[in-house]
Amino acid sequence: MTLTLDILLSGLVLGGMYALIAMGLTLQYGIARIMNLSYGEFLVAAAFGALFLFTGMAVNPILGLLLIVPASFAANWLLYRVVLTPLVKRAKNQGMLEVDSILGTFGVLFVIQGIMQVVFGGALQSYSYLSVPVRILGTTLAANRILALVFALVIGGLLYLLLTRTRYGTALRAIAVNPVAAQLSGIDIAAASGLAFAAGGAIVGAGGVLISMFLTFSAASGVIFTMKALIVVIMGGVGNMMGALVAGLLLGIAETAVARLVDPGLTIAVTYALFLGALLWRPTGLFGRPAR
Amino acid sequence: MTTKRTCLTALAVAAVSAAFAFGAPAQAQDTIKIGWAISKTGPFAAGAAVTTLPNYQVWVKDVNDAGGINVGGKKMKVEVIEYDDRSNSEEMIKAVERLATQDKVDFILPPWSTGMNLAAAPIFNKLGYPHLAVTANTNQSPQLSKRWPNMTFWLGLPSQLVDGIVETFSKMQKDGKIGNKIAMIAVADQFGIEQSTAAREGLKKAGFELVYDKSYPFGSQDMQPVLKDAQAANPDVLIAFSYPPDTFAITDTMKVLAFNPKAVYLGVGTAFPGYKGKFQANAEGVMGVGGSDANLPGIKAYIAHHKEIIGREPDRWASPITYASLQVLQQAIERVGKIDRAAVINEINTGSFDTIIGKVKLEGGQNVNVWTVGQWQGNDFFGIAPTAKAGAKAPIDKPKW
Amino acid sequence: MNISRVYAGAGIAAVIAILAAVPLFASGYHLALGISLLYFTVLATAWALFSGPTHYIALATAAFFGIGAYTTAVLPDLLPIPLILLIAAVVGVLIALVVGLSTLRLSGIYFVIFSFGLSELIRQLVTWYEVNIHGSVGRYIFAETTSEGIYWRLLALAVAVLCVGWLIRHSRLGLAVRVIGQDETVARHCGIDTTRAKLALFAISAAFMTVTGAIMAPRWTYIDPAIAFNPMISFEVVIMALFGGAGALFGPLLGAVPLVLLFELLIGTFPNYFSILLGLVFVLIVYALPQGVFGLMAARVPSFGRAASATGMSALAEIIFGRVWPRAARREAAGDAPVLRLTDVRKSFGGLVAVDNLSFELRRGEILGLIGPNGSGKTTALNLISGAILPDSGDIQLDGRPIARLPAHRVAQRGVARTFQLVRVLGASTCLENVIAGLAFHSQALWGEAADTRARELLTRVGLGDKADMPASQFTYIDQKRLELARALALDPDVLLLDEWLAGLNPSELQVGIALVKMLRDEGLTIIIVEHMMDAIRSLCDRCVVMNTGAKIAEGPPAAVLADKEVIRAYLGDADD
Repeated sequence: MTLTLDILLSGLVLGGMYALIAMGLTLQYGIARIMNLSYGEFLVAAAFGALFLFTGMAVNPILGLLLIVPASFAANWLLYRVVLTPLVKRAKNQGMLEVDSILGTFGVLFVIQGIMQVVFGGALQSYSYLSVPVRILGTTLAANRILALVFALVIGGLLYLLLTRTRYGTALRAIAVNPVAAQLSGIDIAAASGLAFAAGGAIVGAGGVLISMFLTFSAASGVIFTMKALIVVIMGGVGNMMGALVAGLLLGIAETAVARLVDPGLTIAVTYALFLGALLWRPTGLFGRPAR
Repeated sequence: MTTKRTCLTALAVAAVSAAFAFGAPAQAQDTIKIGWAISKTGPFAAGAAVTTLPNYQVWVKDVNDAGGINVGGKKMKVEVIEYDDRSNSEEMIKAVERLATQDKVDFILPPWSTGMNLAAAPIFNKLGYPHLAVTANTNQSPQLSKRWPNMTFWLGLPSQLVDGIVETFSKMQKDGKIGNKIAMIAVADQFGIEQSTAAREGLKKAGFELVYDKSYPFGSQDMQPVLKDAQAANPDVLIAFSYPPDTFAITDTMKVLAFNPKAVYLGVGTAFPGYKGKFQANAEGVMGVGGSDANLPGIKAYIAHHKEIIGREPDRWASPITYASLQVLQQAIERVGKIDRAAVINEINTGSFDTIIGKVKLEGGQNVNVWTVGQWQGNDFFGIAPTAKAGAKAPIDKPKW
Repeated sequence: MNISRVYAGAGIAAVIAILAAVPLFASGYHLALGISLLYFTVLATAWALFSGPTHYIALATAAFFGIGAYTTAVLPDLLPIPLILLIAAVVGVLIALVVGLSTLRLSGIYFVIFSFGLSELIRQLVTWYEVNIHGSVGRYIFAETTSEGIYWRLLALAVAVLCVGWLIRHSRLGLAVRVIGQDETVARHCGIDTTRAKLALFAISAAFMTVTGAIMAPRWTYIDPAIAFNPMISFEVVIMALFGGAGALFGPLLGAVPLVLLFELLIGTFPNYFSILLGLVFVLIVYALPQGVFGLMAARVPSFGRAASATGMSALAEIIFGRVWPRAARREAAGDAPVLRLTDVRKSFGGLVAVDNLSFELRRGEILGLIGPNGSGKTTALNLISGAILPDSGDIQLDGRPIARLPAHRVAQRGVARTFQLVRVLGASTCLENVIAGLAFHSQALWGEAADTRARELLTRVGLGDKADMPASQFTYIDQKRLELARALALDPDVLLLDEWLAGLNPSELQVGIALVKMLRDEGLTIIIVEHMMDAIRSLCDRCVVMNTGAKIAEGPPAAVLADKEVIRAYLGDADD
């Protein structure tokens, strides 16, 4: 019983991190319809930002969020307006946009990675913040990881409410479902998509800052996070905020359970097995709309 | 449209000419050309940026500041040509070929990691360049040096590193400092598996009981599950053959869990300056692979010098050895007195050299006189095993986190 | 014609000979560069074999490449190399078949990420196996190989993959995936077993990737999962193929060669800024070359563009790749019984009952009008008959044999052809290829000269004889309708289903259309038309079945049913209230 509870809590905390990483991408891909391969680079850039503020200027990362989140929002908005808008305008259909955005953001990935390499060097980076034990129901957890979970839940909940309960959210969802029809009904697609993309950027910025408190990272780590985020997003169902949250938590619990009960060597394998299994069971993700 | 085409044509022409038309102009040599292909991008970049690349840079600067390498009475400065292998074996092989046949460099410094060095071995051998495979660590190395006599190994055999661990803990047990229960975790990669396989055998033979023994996948982002089970087994010693990100995560998690075995040995990364930087007083007493005799004047100067040039201290395992291997190369060239690679290889294999890590004399291509276990004591990571090695410190008790 | 073929053949042979001679005079570096060029060319071309026509973006290249590398590492060094490569190919094909069966029902981004997840899963499982069973993660390969040997093997493989690509393009398999890539529904109703076609191509593509890995492995002396399953390979290959143009045989080659050279240029000139420059170049490429290098060339050199959509057929290709298709059963000679019989067929979507216990018979040689107000279930009924969807209950028999549970391509092969309510032609293909798509997959499939001749006959018959070589996308609406009919007729059907085929025609076109349908009936074809135009129904139909809200409400000659009170009420609504 204690073991079950332990696994559940530790798994939730790990899953909270996955969900946090994934939620920005689900906005960017689900609503702005951009398959952003440079997503993880923004996360690592935010982590470097937090590191620099903390070690260089003694600004604690929580305060750092106030600076880094708006910066990441702005950077992503610019990326969308400058680099991606021409591609969106040019694309005749979703397939073309997908190919173009994969190629384009793959380029952006290298640019950002290269800049970080030049500025910060290639070495691994890490610092300690809020690495203190918190006891919940007899289970010891790290405060910084719990913070990531809390953020994931808050952001997920807020976005869910925003998307389902407000007029603007309805407009955004309309874009996700059918951009052409949404345009006909008077929604300014370009502005709304840009905003959704930038909002995704803000979330990934927050994710980067929070994760930098407990994970070691280097300029080359971005791809790992992009892939993890993609897996969570796809497993949850593209554009579905709750889906990303649930899928992330599920993966966290599954990984922890396998590590404790079966073999820690299989934790990453089980992530992929679960992901592949979920897609075979529901080809458009756990919470995705059924394909027509 | 036309400009676009022109641009593309220009690009193509430039690419082709760069690839094919790089003829090395023949001229009287007054510099010594040294090249390397190393991971500046991709997953290996982090490792290379800690252990290898900074030492190449420090060494080149040191040599050139001193006026160059003395080749037959003539001081020749070092000219560097470097490529990025993008953490890809094939790119690395191509770059080494390029250094040798296009740039016609005089010597080639090795890439980073065991896999890369093994992939480089046949090509270094075919081209006849000395291969200082510092970051290659495998039990196969004596056979490999026989197969490719130009290839030398510097970190000691994995089994030797494990012997150091067994020696250290046996001694501590004899002294009554620890019991016989050991928990062991290892990253599921060549390093972790070779080490843990050897350690399993060695520790059992020495009478230890392995109360927890698991591997975890490369790239794990949460060490808590593994450590909780290890903690539940209530060991006297925790041994982790881990990679740097995991080493940091393990330390962090152990602190959070208040997991306090009497001794802690963590794999690669403990000897990094960043480890001490991050954990400060908590680093005290943590053991790990490598170590150095920080009281040697050469090491002291090297550390200060490295910090001055690179902006941070070197790691205390492979970094000093990498620098020492370059000193060996330099001294071998100077003794031979000309750019004769075969003679230099022979000299590296047979000569005896004074370096920052003390006297180096290879045996069968192996540098066996290395620190196998180090421990943070105060501000430095001192070698504690093999105990017979000059300058070995006695292990201290690890304070609780 | 023959002379130019001889020249082309001689030219190709000369190019191969020159490339084969490269190791004799190249320096070690140029040889290594050649190896890079070749192995990316093979991988990108192999990738595009499957992903080009189907538009499935697969990120599984690293998985197959890694499996190939591991095959070499696991097998003893003493085995002859051809045997090792053969084993690798077989392993690749087997894994591709298993993977393909489970994944090809995913589409779009789901497939993309699934294929990536799969590579990672395979890598993790290999690692776990090596750790726990083999007891060591790395494997040494001490096979005696030289760079020259690897170069020649890769060159042979590159020639092979291009030959195979050429042959596939000129075989029915190539036609099948071109049709699938444009419109999978049309493909199925042309009698194409789409799963089989995609699976076959996926496996062929995987075999080449696996063999590439097996060839390359000895070059690295040492293999571990991180080296063998390097995910960057998957991405680089996609970028190269898309950059070159994945739709054309030589597209990936045109992408791989300049990009490899570009990487080399950047890495040599700016080793510290390689990433930034590479990224900028990628972004520029996306802007400057939306259609890829091949698209750029096709836009400038007309002969390039033609090659991309030509239908050329080859008997040799068909001998090799025809084995993909099972032999279709010959159709039974017909008796006097009804051609088609529906018994209590029912289909509901969620809560909506679209077809409600529908029963009717279709007599040989008649035109049956299936009519009713909008939303009455007519098109759903056609979809059920043609196998596009499966009924919830009830029975459909063709010539006395049940077809209700058969997939669309089997129904089409048995002689049920259809057109679509919203006209569907293959816009990127020529008019001729559209028709050949109908000819090539039914039970008495035609190919080569025979198919060409028959397709031109059919086109002449529907009045498109002079437009055979035009791309279908340039057609007017009426011509697209004609073309769709020709494609349906190409199936040599017993039953033809026309879904509002006459809709949208102007009065004079309508007369032509009606005459055409009558002529088909007079030649012995049995036809169901779904139609709204009463004039057409009166002049064409022998009988009518009237549907409303999914159920049959009347049946009989047009004059009688159109006078029926219930039918009038269904069309006009309740006039009583």
